[in-house]
Amino acid sequence: MFPIGDTAIRKGRKEGRPVTRVHVTLINFDINMDGQLLEPTLYTVKGMAILDNDGNRILAKYYDKKIFPTSKEQKAFEKNLFNKTHRANAEIIMLDGLTCVYRSNVDLFFYVMGSSHENELILMSVLNCLYDSVSQILRKNVEKRAVLDSLDIVMLAVDEICDGGIILDADASSVVQRVALRTDDIPLGEQTVAQTCTQLQWSHRARMPGDLP
Amino acid sequence: MNAFKRDKKEEEDGGGNPFQNMEKTTVLQEARTFNDTPVNPRKCAHILTKILYLINQGEQLGTTEATEAFFAMTKLFQSRDVVLRRLVYLGIKELSSVAEDVIIVTSSLTKDMTGKEDLYRAAAIRALCTITDGGMLAAIERYMKQAIVDKSPAVSSAALVSSLHLTSVSGDVARRWANEAQEALNSDNVMVQYHALGVLYQARKSDKHAVTKLVSKLTRTSLKSPYAACMLIRMACKLLDEDEGAGELYEFVESCLRHKSEMVVYEAAHALVNLGRSGSRELASPISVLQLFCGSPKPALRFAAVRTLNKMAMSHPAAVTACNLDLENLITDSNRSIATLAITTLLKTGAESSVDR
Repeated sequence: MFPIGDTAIRKGRKEGRPVTRVHVTLINFDINMDGQLLEPTLYTVKGMAILDNDGNRILAKYYDKKIFPTSKEQKAFEKNLFNKTHRANAEIIMLDGLTCVYRSNVDLFFYVMGSSHENELILMSVLNCLYDSVSQILRKNVEKRAVLDSLDIVMLAVDEICDGGIILDADASSVVQRVALRTDDIPLGEQTVAQTCTQLQWSHRARMPGDLP
Repeated sequence: MNAFKRDKKEEEDGGGNPFQNMEKTTVLQEARTFNDTPVNPRKCAHILTKILYLINQGEQLGTTEATEAFFAMTKLFQSRDVVLRRLVYLGIKELSSVAEDVIIVTSSLTKDMTGKEDLYRAAAIRALCTITDGGMLAAIERYMKQAIVDKSPAVSSAALVSSLHLTSVSGDVARRWANEAQEALNSDNVMVQYHALGVLYQARKSDKHAVTKLVSKLTRTSLKSPYAACMLIRMACKLLDEDEGAGELYEFVESCLRHKSEMVVYEAAHALVNLGRSGSRELASPISVLQLFCGSPKPALRFAAVRTLNKMAMSHPAAVTACNLDLENLITDSNRSIATLAITTLLKTGAESSVDR
């Protein structure tokens, strides 16, 4: 875990030096853990949530097993988060050692959580992607009823944005493309060329039995 | 999207929420519909969405329940409905930790990940890797390596991200696939480049010499992806902290202060003030950047800047004094977190007069 400390301890023991030396290296290590220097890792997102205007969960994903391991703890955190954010439209808050960025519209609240040392602008880009993707999926009609009506597609979008804590895609238009909207639900005028092509491809395939997709 | 419009009765019960008052046992019984042939994609997608919703609400499924639902779900592979197939992948991922014998979908997923449909391939890779164990890894390795260098960014990203997750199954996955990741690093897609860099770092992080080589090579090229640039700054700082290749890397991080993406500029400023170099000349440019951010209209940016200045005020209060006026403006910020951080920073740097004002 911390080689500097370990080797120092082993060396110190071998040479019979006082333990205080080891103590000093550990203190240094703690300063580093304090987020002075960020660990290069792709695991940036601790969680994402969409809550309604009573603070009830519509969808939530937590990616780090170490924080809020049980559903009970998660819901308690969400209640607390909602109480602190639903009146103040402040975009960012520090809570329970997490940085949470958020956005709301009509009766929906969107949250993205990361460690308190994480670059806030990276979290913000994920939040914007989540909001814009949902907005495009629901054709700008961002409210609870619409989310529940297209819950399957919204779930797929959340899955395309973040995979196990790693940002998979932060560009809303590409996320929406990847979730493969049910093309027959979009009026032809609003379809992109690509979607129409896909649809034609599918209807063509449907008439060609035997070749599996 | 009128998939749920038909549930008029439920609507009246649930005050507009078609998912209210659902019983776990009832929904799991409905899942028997999955066994019908031919598959009715609309109906099955709706039932599957209900199951996923219940799990997401924190409902616990027993092993037997989960296994039954899982096996019923595998029947849906017969349907060619895109959304339904994608929901099945989600179901596989959600149930894989609870249900037994989930590896029976391996061949279906392998077929999808090597098939023609891009929309399936990326998602199938991610689902496959959640059910893969050490024994199966060898069987899919060849496909995974191909997927990493695939021309579709979605497929390439899915494979790279999955290989990081697979580190928990087998520690040297990233190292074995490093050549492919190296190739993916040259991708034009910003996300693929970012994911490739993450895999390469994972593969080499125990070998400091290799990391030094990788970083110094990348600092000479300019990465297109702001996410990758942030990652590279962190890698460079780790080396700087251990005093490797000091001058050159330090200049690179400083040059990132002039990056066109705010994300990268902040990452660089944060890194420079935390590197523990206390020369006033070295701190001047990152501090002036943070000072600029203090006046940004975006709350997240103001928050980030004042958080970094706050931490800095502990070690170099004199250097932060330059921002006192900007911090005073933030005392009355509408965002309480920002105001609090501003006040505590001023307590470390300012005189009483500034808080009084």
